[in-house]
Amino acid sequence: MRRIYESDALYRDDDEPGAPRERQREERPQSFRSVPSGSLSRWLVPDRVRRWGLSLEVVTPRTEFRVGEHVPFQVTIKNSLPFPVTVATRSPLLWTWHVDDHRAASKLSADGPPEEERGFRFERGERKRFRKRWDGMFKIADAEWERATTGEYTIGAGLNVEGAADRGLYSETTVTLRPE
Amino acid sequence: MALLEVDDLTVQFYTEDGVVTAADELSFTVESGEKFGVVGESGAGKSVTALSLMRLIEEPGRITDGEIRFKGEDILSMSESEVRSIRGNEMAMIFQDAQTALNPVYTVGEQISEAVRHHLDYSEADARDRAVQLMDDVGIPEPDARYDDYPHQFSGGMQQRVVIATALSCDPDLLIADEPTTALDVTIEAKILDLIENLADEYDTAVQLITHDLGVIAEVCDRVMVMYAGKPVEKAPVDDLYYDPKHPYTVGLMSSIPRVGEQRDRLQTIPGTMPDLVELPSGCSFHPRCPFAEDACTRKEPPLVDHETGQAADGDTDQHVAACLEYTGDLVEGLDYQVDVDGADPNTGSATERGRDHGA
Ligand code: SF4
Repeated sequence: MRRIYESDALYRDDDEPGAPRERQREERPQSFRSVPSGSLSRWLVPDRVRRWGLSLEVVTPRTEFRVGEHVPFQVTIKNSLPFPVTVATRSPLLWTWHVDDHRAASKLSADGPPEEERGFRFERGERKRFRKRWDGMFKIADAEWERATTGEYTIGAGLNVEGAADRGLYSETTVTLRPE
Repeated sequence: MALLEVDDLTVQFYTEDGVVTAADELSFTVESGEKFGVVGESGAGKSVTALSLMRLIEEPGRITDGEIRFKGEDILSMSESEVRSIRGNEMAMIFQDAQTALNPVYTVGEQISEAVRHHLDYSEADARDRAVQLMDDVGIPEPDARYDDYPHQFSGGMQQRVVIATALSCDPDLLIADEPTTALDVTIEAKILDLIENLADEYDTAVQLITHDLGVIAEVCDRVMVMYAGKPVEKAPVDDLYYDPKHPYTVGLMSSIPRVGEQRDRLQTIPGTMPDLVELPSGCSFHPRCPFAEDACTRKEPPLVDHETGQAADGDTDQHVAACLEYTGDLVEGLDYQVDVDGADPNTGSATERGRDHGA
């Protein structure tokens, strides 16, 4: 959290000496743009339409990597509707990624954020892009990882909603790890 | 019982990019009257940790785990009004930038006396007298005349003195200073640090000083915790750490300490940058930048252990602990560096000039 003092995550109160003072309203940083729950468009737009309008795609720059090499991937989530929509997710995460069936390349049972519905807003036609990398490791215990061996691996990403795959909000791609 | 006890504090932020873990199972204590330093580069989670102690973190940030006990009371289970009565009173904070604390529409005197009146039962006239006294204590010349000035009529250094006066107004037991001199130039920096140190002694206040500069810690603090990527990587009494650093990251930080007279804006000497806290490297988070990294470092996260015995840190304040696989016997090659200390008497802890030499 590099910019905690500029973020909305800092408690402020002009009436409390000792607390940071309030600042003038500024555009919220992109990464913080989520709201506790859905907003108006959730009620006006039928669920079906809202989800048709959203799409998600995961891509890697190539399909072959050496064992030990990092595998970068890009996830793009797009709202193709001509109006803003808010999507309600199951937890404060907008999307999740997996290697084979392992969420965030971890073989531990998921210990993710609290199950708490969250609304993420997409402007009309907005495209959100996220760059990540899989470092070719699987987490196998609290403080332990193992290196993935040669072979094929599926890298998947999905919107963090119930039944993402059935609704076309999940995408995957396959990469091959070759010997070093 | 320590003044402040932090156990397994975990602070996370939920962003569109994923979960940012800014503090990861962090444990430390601050004793009454002690000066405790927290050092690390920007992005290590130092500010978030400090702000969490006063419950100043809000959505999308959240303290997800751990305990914070101040004088034995659990801060995290207190009501909002209980926290408010502690904040700015028994526990006060100096922020990186005076602007975070000062309100531009009130005079500096009003702001200090307001702090006095908020927590102490003073009349308006008494609060004014106390404010003027505090302004004098922190070295603001002609405090009576300057009481009615607005913050913009003060220089950056003088503004930070006002913030210090406000913070000390209720005679806190713990003063948290988060990079209090970042926004100031070097000559003012030394004066402000001296001021904090002297006032802390005078008021018998414990200080948690947060900085990216190990040289500052060495001058002011008794004990130090080095943070990297949201975790402590080394904790020790300041002389032990300074003369015998055990973590390669600390050694790297030491090489960033300027020699006397050297330009402050020196080159970053640890290659690479702090990892993105949303995507930490596997194993030891420092491995992509560590000159001694081995294969094991990518597979195992080193626990914080006593460097001599390899036993887990037990909270003993004199213990020198580090989180490197060297001390759990997991490295094949091991560490190989040398720290040269010149022009310093190890017993005074007043050294400001250091040389270093480490190589794999
Ligand atoms: S565990 Fe490995 S990478 Fe981490 S500090 Fe020690 S030698 Fe460096």
